[in-house]
Amino acid sequence: MKLSSRYEQTSCRLVLEGLPDLSAGQSAQTIGILTGFTLALAGKTEMEGQRDHLQALIAVVLPYARQLLSGVARPLGDDEAAVAIRPQEGGHELELRSSQPNTPPLRLPLDDAELADLVRCLDRVQLDPGVAVPLTWPQPQPLRRAELRHRLPLRRRLAAPLTGVAALAVAAALVALVPPTPRPAASEPAAVSKPASGG
Amino acid sequence: MADAPPHSQRTLSRRGLERLDLLLLSAEALDLNGGEAMVWLSEEMGLTDLFPNRVELWKRRCSNPLRRTTRRESLSEAEADGLIRILNALADRLYPMLRSLLSSAEPPQLSEQRWALFRGRLHELLRERFNPRRGGVQRLLHQDEGPQLCRDLIQTMALSAGPGGFERLKASLMDAAA
Repeated sequence: MKLSSRYEQTSCRLVLEGLPDLSAGQSAQTIGILTGFTLALAGKTEMEGQRDHLQALIAVVLPYARQLLSGVARPLGDDEAAVAIRPQEGGHELELRSSQPNTPPLRLPLDDAELADLVRCLDRVQLDPGVAVPLTWPQPQPLRRAELRHRLPLRRRLAAPLTGVAALAVAAALVALVPPTPRPAASEPAAVSKPASGG
Repeated sequence: MADAPPHSQRTLSRRGLERLDLLLLSAEALDLNGGEAMVWLSEEMGLTDLFPNRVELWKRRCSNPLRRTTRRESLSEAEADGLIRILNALADRLYPMLRSLLSSAEPPQLSEQRWALFRGRLHELLRERFNPRRGGVQRLLHQDEGPQLCRDLIQTMALSAGPGGFERLKASLMDAAA
């Protein structure tokens, strides 16, 4: 019996379809084997895919949202990935690459609200007890200092070291301007009488 | 200095405390009854052991160093988690409003009016409760920098709402010091 699970949030609709995995002891109402999914974003082309595509979507969208919370907008999804996401002017761009040869990638522009809708739909899938499809969910982690480096604008990041260098240069210049302290004239070395050698 | 491995730190950093309190303040700027909603949600979520009354809740928020009257005590992990849970629930309640602020599909004039209203209320609350000599407060009140920082706060709230929002926000508040 085919099952379907639907997640909707304003501009986003995600529908999972699948079958219960009875051999794994799951109930007849639980999707254990995903046969396909559709993702519809209001006013944009509907996307269809299999488990691997859903996994690829999860693997880039949730970490991307996590980074945005820390003010880091960094593209995710390499050339080999089925899904990639990157910041673009005024929002984000979700790129879906087809496994069919000679099919150009589908590029969907998302604004901040649409991205938040998509993230909420994926969150609901993760916590839905009626879905037991083996998917890997990225665990949100604090970002390391190196990952946060791009959060501050270059000017502000360079401000402190440049101020330090400038202060050092000014101090060095001031020191160079100070006239050298005159040394006392070299006086004749005092005659030192040699002790008479005793016989 | 080497970066600390993720999750080694259990309490919020100074920056984490500042951000958490600013996000709660943003919720108050969006909802005139936001302060009452926090107390009510705290009771609703069974957090009365941590925050028995509004004064205790207020005192925990005052560990933010940007406040006019700041407390030196840092938050325990349970207290920080409690405040993050309250924010997560508030963001969920306010999600339609957050969404309408962030959406590019809204009429630009209406959107600008909403942003102006939000920024106006946030500025009032900042001037009333925060130390205006602090750089972080001055940047929020700044004519050029302020609007983008306000947008960052609203985007953070939108991505902190809903079922996965708590873990995402907590991880972000525990980022290494930049």
